[in-house]
Amino acid sequence: MDHRKRLYETTFIVNASLDDSQIEGVITHVQEIVTRNGGEITAINKWGRKRLAYTIQKKNNGFYVNLEFVGTGPVITQLQRSFLLDQNFLRFLIVQVDPRAVKARQQAAAAVPAAIPAPEAIAAPPAAEPTAPPPAAPVPQRKPLFFDDEAGPPPAPKAR
Amino acid sequence: MAKQDQQIRKHRVCRFCENKEISIDYKDEKRLVRFVSEQGKIIPKRITGTCARHQRQLVKAIKRARHLAMLPFVSETIR
Repeated sequence: MDHRKRLYETTFIVNASLDDSQIEGVITHVQEIVTRNGGEITAINKWGRKRLAYTIQKKNNGFYVNLEFVGTGPVITQLQRSFLLDQNFLRFLIVQVDPRAVKARQQAAAAVPAAIPAPEAIAAPPAAEPTAPPPAAPVPQRKPLFFDDEAGPPPAPKAR
Repeated sequence: MAKQDQQIRKHRVCRFCENKEISIDYKDEKRLVRFVSEQGKIIPKRITGTCARHQRQLVKAIKRARHLAMLPFVSETIR
């Protein structure tokens, strides 16, 4: 058995028709599962209520939560099990955090702490926010990275 | 001739190779929608100019985003 500790992240969608307090309860329950199984939560981002791109269980909205944690294999199985059993979860995704993303985040943090809003940066106190956007804004404006500025999206592939 | 030249050159360099700071992530739906057609299909790399390596990463990210209902499998207008 491989019990190496790895950095994972899980994104899950909670039924948005629940009250905020109920959603909060569901999230803390997830956190408990992680910590009880020897995991260690490194970051939690609540994206809030978002419209779903398609209906899931006849619902159009969901409360998105992204949780980053360090843990071993058994945490994942337990987490998966509880996600599947609980009716309040519309969807979930558990993946290992891409080492490239980790590297990029570290570099960004080392260079300019506020340049790229890393997941951790969102949790930063709001007092830091007024200073954060100005350095970030000029970067995308200086050089349009995508073709949408020129001529809109690329031509759709030929219809068959 | 000139036009043809322009068209060929336009998407030659992979956006992600050009700018190494961008990492492809399923959470970044705003970036991903640009690589999806109006119908919700993934746009081939021959059109977007993305290199093979980054196209693979993109495809994975798009599929993950679809699973989480951040991107549609089929666009609303078609259904």
